[in-house]
Amino acid sequence: MKSSTRNPNPNPDTPRFGPSKLMLAFRFLRALTLVHRTAPNSSNAARSRRIQRAAFASMAYSAGPRRAWSRALLCRLHFHRARRRCARRSRAAGVPRRPSTTRSPADGLRRLVPGGTGMDYCSLLEETADYIRCLSEQVKLMQSIVDSVGPGGR
Amino acid sequence: MDPPSLMPRLPDMCRFPMLGMPPPELAPRVGRIGGDASVEESTVTEQCGGSKGRWRRRDPPSSGGATEAESSKLVSTSSGNELAEAEAKHLKAIKSTDGNDNIKSEAEASSGICNKLAAQNPQTTEPPKQDYIHVRARRGQATDSHSLAERARRDKISERMKILQDLVPGCNKVIGKASVLDEIINYIQALQRQVEFLSMKLEAVNSPMNTTIEVFPSKDFSSQRYDTTSSLAYSSQTWEYEQGSGTEWLHMQVGGAFERVT
Repeated sequence: MKSSTRNPNPNPDTPRFGPSKLMLAFRFLRALTLVHRTAPNSSNAARSRRIQRAAFASMAYSAGPRRAWSRALLCRLHFHRARRRCARRSRAAGVPRRPSTTRSPADGLRRLVPGGTGMDYCSLLEETADYIRCLSEQVKLMQSIVDSVGPGGR
Repeated sequence: MDPPSLMPRLPDMCRFPMLGMPPPELAPRVGRIGGDASVEESTVTEQCGGSKGRWRRRDPPSSGGATEAESSKLVSTSSGNELAEAEAKHLKAIKSTDGNDNIKSEAEASSGICNKLAAQNPQTTEPPKQDYIHVRARRGQATDSHSLAERARRDKISERMKILQDLVPGCNKVIGKASVLDEIINYIQALQRQVEFLSMKLEAVNSPMNTTIEVFPSKDFSSQRYDTTSSLAYSSQTWEYEQGSGTEWLHMQVGGAFERVT
C-alpha cells in the first residue's frame, strides 16, 4: 500500500508562502481517485459530497497546521467522520445557538470561515485572507481538472 | 497658576524614581515648547496612577476658554494624522465634560495599562514638538492608554482589510468597512458554492477520469520536479503526513505506479 520510506529534508529553510499548489493538486487528485474507486455504486449526491469533503480536506492539509482555519476544518471533518462511523459520543462540537441581539460586523464572516467563532477580529481577518487564497486555488484546480477531462464526461 | 496646582501632587510624584526631578523644573518646562517636556511628563503620567490623570485633567478646565480656541487651532496644525484624530477626540472629551467625570474614567483607564504605554510613549510623543497646548493634549492622549492600544489595533485591522480588498476582486470600488465586509462574505460564499458545483461536475465525470488521472500527474508535474522538493521540504517541516505522501508521489512519477499509492 503506502510506502513507509521517508525522504530526508533537503532544504530546511524554505520560505513560507501561501498554499502550495502542487501539494494541493496532488492531494486532491489522490482523494478524487480514492472516491471514485472505493464507492462506484453510491448515489451521485453522496459522491459529490465526498468529493467536496475531499476538496476541503486537501485544502486544509496543504495549508498546513499553522492556520487556525485549517485546523478547525480538519477537526470538523474528522469529527463528522467519527460521528458517522461510531455512535454519537458527544455533541461538544455542535454550534451553540446564541441569539445575539447586537450584530457585530464580523458575525457573517465568523460563520463562513471555519474556526472563526473563537477569534478576535484581527486574526479573523488574517485567517479570512488565507482562506480566500486557498479557496480560490482549490477552485482553480478543480476547474482545470474539469476542463482537462473535456466536455465528453461520461 | 500651574505651580500651585502642582504642589499638592508632590507626594504622589515623589513615589517614583522617574519623578526625582525637582518640581520647580517642571513648571517652566510645562510652559516650554519642546518635546522633552512632553516626553517626561507623559512618561511620568504613564507610570503614575490615576492621580496624574487627575492632575492633567484639571489643567485644561482651569485655563478656561482659551484652551479650546488654541486646541482647535492645534488640531488643524498638528503634523501627524493619527495624532490629530486622537487629539481631537481627546479635546472633544475635555470640552464635553467638566473634567471631573473624565477624571474617574481616565484614572481607571490609565491605572489599567500603565506599563505598556510607558514603552510606547517615547515614540508617540516624539513627533509633536509644538506649543504648550499641544503638549498637554499629547499627555492626555498618552495616558488614554486605551486610545493608544486601540489605535495600534485599528491600524492592524485596516492593514488586513487592505490585504483582503486586494484579494477580493471588485472590492476596491466599495467604500466603507461594512460594505467591504459584505463583499468579502459574498465572495467566500460564491467560492464555496463554486466548490460544491465543481465537485458535482467532477462526480459526473466518472469513468474516463480514472484513466486520465493516472496520466495527468506524470504529464503535467514532470516539469515541476524542482518545485516539488521545495514544497516537500516545506510540508515536511509542518506535517509528517505530507512527507510520506511526497515520496509516494515520486514513486508515481518514476514508474507510473499510481496503484501503489492507493
